Amino acid sequence: MTYSIRTRLQRAILAGAACFLSLGAANASAELVVIVSSRNPAPTMNADQVAAIFLGQSARFPDGALAVPVDQRLGAEGRQQFYRDVAGKTPALLKAHWSKLVFTGRGQPPREAQSDADVRRLVAENPSMIGYIERSALDASVRPVLVLP
Amino acid sequence: MHKQTYFGARLSAASVSSPSGAPAMLAPRRAVARASALLAASLLACAFPAHAQNAQNAQDSSLSWKLSGFGTLGVAHSDERSADFTASVLRKDGAGHTHPWSMDVDSRLGAQLDLGMGSWSAVVQVVSEQRLDGGYRPEVEWANVKYQLTPEIALRAGRIALPVFLAAEYRKVGYALPWVRTPVDVYGTLPISASDGVDATWRWSTGAVRHNTQVLAGRTDRELANGLKIRAGDIRGISHSFEYGALSGRVTAFGGRLSTGIGRELFDALRQFGPAGNALADRHAIENKRVRMLSAGASYDPGPWFVTAEYGQTRTSSLLGDGTSMYVGAGLRRGAFTPYAGYAQVRSDGPTSDPGLPTTGLPPPLAGAAQQLNAGLNTFLSTIPVQSTWSAGVRWDAAPDIALKLQFDHVRPQDGSRGTLINQQPDFRSGRAFGIASVALDFVF
Repeated sequence: MTYSIRTRLQRAILAGAACFLSLGAANASAELVVIVSSRNPAPTMNADQVAAIFLGQSARFPDGALAVPVDQRLGAEGRQQFYRDVAGKTPALLKAHWSKLVFTGRGQPPREAQSDADVRRLVAENPSMIGYIERSALDASVRPVLVLP
Repeated sequence: MHKQTYFGARLSAASVSSPSGAPAMLAPRRAVARASALLAASLLACAFPAHAQNAQNAQDSSLSWKLSGFGTLGVAHSDERSADFTASVLRKDGAGHTHPWSMDVDSRLGAQLDLGMGSWSAVVQVVSEQRLDGGYRPEVEWANVKYQLTPEIALRAGRIALPVFLAAEYRKVGYALPWVRTPVDVYGTLPISASDGVDATWRWSTGAVRHNTQVLAGRTDRELANGLKIRAGDIRGISHSFEYGALSGRVTAFGGRLSTGIGRELFDALRQFGPAGNALADRHAIENKRVRMLSAGASYDPGPWFVTAEYGQTRTSSLLGDGTSMYVGAGLRRGAFTPYAGYAQVRSDGPTSDPGLPTTGLPPPLAGAAQQLNAGLNTFLSTIPVQSTWSAGVRWDAAPDIALKLQFDHVRPQDGSRGTLINQQPDFRSGRAFGIASVALDFVF
């Protein structure tokens, strides 16, 4: 009897832990890579440099070449994670950031692409573009300059 | 559909304006109409959150356009019943004396059209909010054409908001502010807020520090109400901002020559009193007066919390006064909630009263007239703000593009000043603290 209760308790704890872990796994984000065209010679970048381009604060790669960001569409998986990881910004903070720039005529948010494949295609075709996609969507047409854990 | 959103908003904004001098008994109905128009506009804004935007490509030289907007639906309560609390002196009334609860303090609606073609772009922004005549006639806030000479250098011509303080350029976009409104003690000291002219902005960096340097020149000529105008010429300004990780800051200096008709009858009458009257009129009248303003502010915002502080100094050589203002504000971000608190104050660096015309030796009728003029002059000087404000509130990011804020302010005008209040009544007493409770729903679309 006592044994059976203990077993059940152990099972319950295990089940709870498993549930917690699986929740954790569901929350754990996919690995994102920041990409440029394979024809772009830009060296690897740090999160601040990438953030500056995506937040409209810099129009150049660290080597001085022109940089044009392409964003994932609003609501896309990965977009929230990207801005959290490179800029520490929640969607609301990001919206406030762009509101300040848009309503003072200082800038417009990056253009948006519909999917990883679209981002990859745009970036591959244009050496001045920079985007981010899931690591699994990488191919030889683009080159990662930053991996987001 | 997007166009409908925009024009719907514009129409609502236009329909809430009314000619000045409408019978007072219509006011409540007008207030309801205004409120419902704002509500309708905000519902429209929420119902169609999508941007009317076509593809934007920096390399694209075809014409692109975008419509966007912002607004606030707010209500504020003041327990100071002898004057009106407002967010700006350029208002007809506010919360307190005219109505204990007022929707006019913070409510507004703004719409913006952006056009772009290659290196050229243009922006027009109109804002509808209560004006001096009580109407909501939309006013052009921004209207300029920009030429991007290089990715780092931009030239603009047209109407440009002055880059004073950290937030003066977007102070009307409630969503972009952590608090309900920019601190009135500080931002209320701005004698001019926009310039019609040109500016140049240069973006540069030193290591990890990003800089932005802006110079501007222009003038402004704005009709306020009842034939009252504000004219400023020779506006020159320089502003420098920087960002270094979570730290950002800005320093601005600008000057101009200001003229308005405020108090003209009083000064004309004073000039009838010989050299003493002329001297008083010259000292206080806002006629071709050199105004200048300095501001310095910094903000540290690593994400989970933020702190921001600003300092400003205004010199107007007139009855608008010379003042020094500052504020400190901080907040914590906890999920969708941002509780915050702050302190703001403005002090006068010059006298807020004047002995006026000497009355001894004047024949009784003239002495009486002089006394009246002196009282009139001192009423004007009591509008030079001396005030301190403690604030606390919470922002709730209720949905994407929508923030709801609740804020309490404890305000104390001091030293005989009415602070930033308007419409003070004979029983108004400086030094008496009062409370403001505000609720504001901010949205962007």
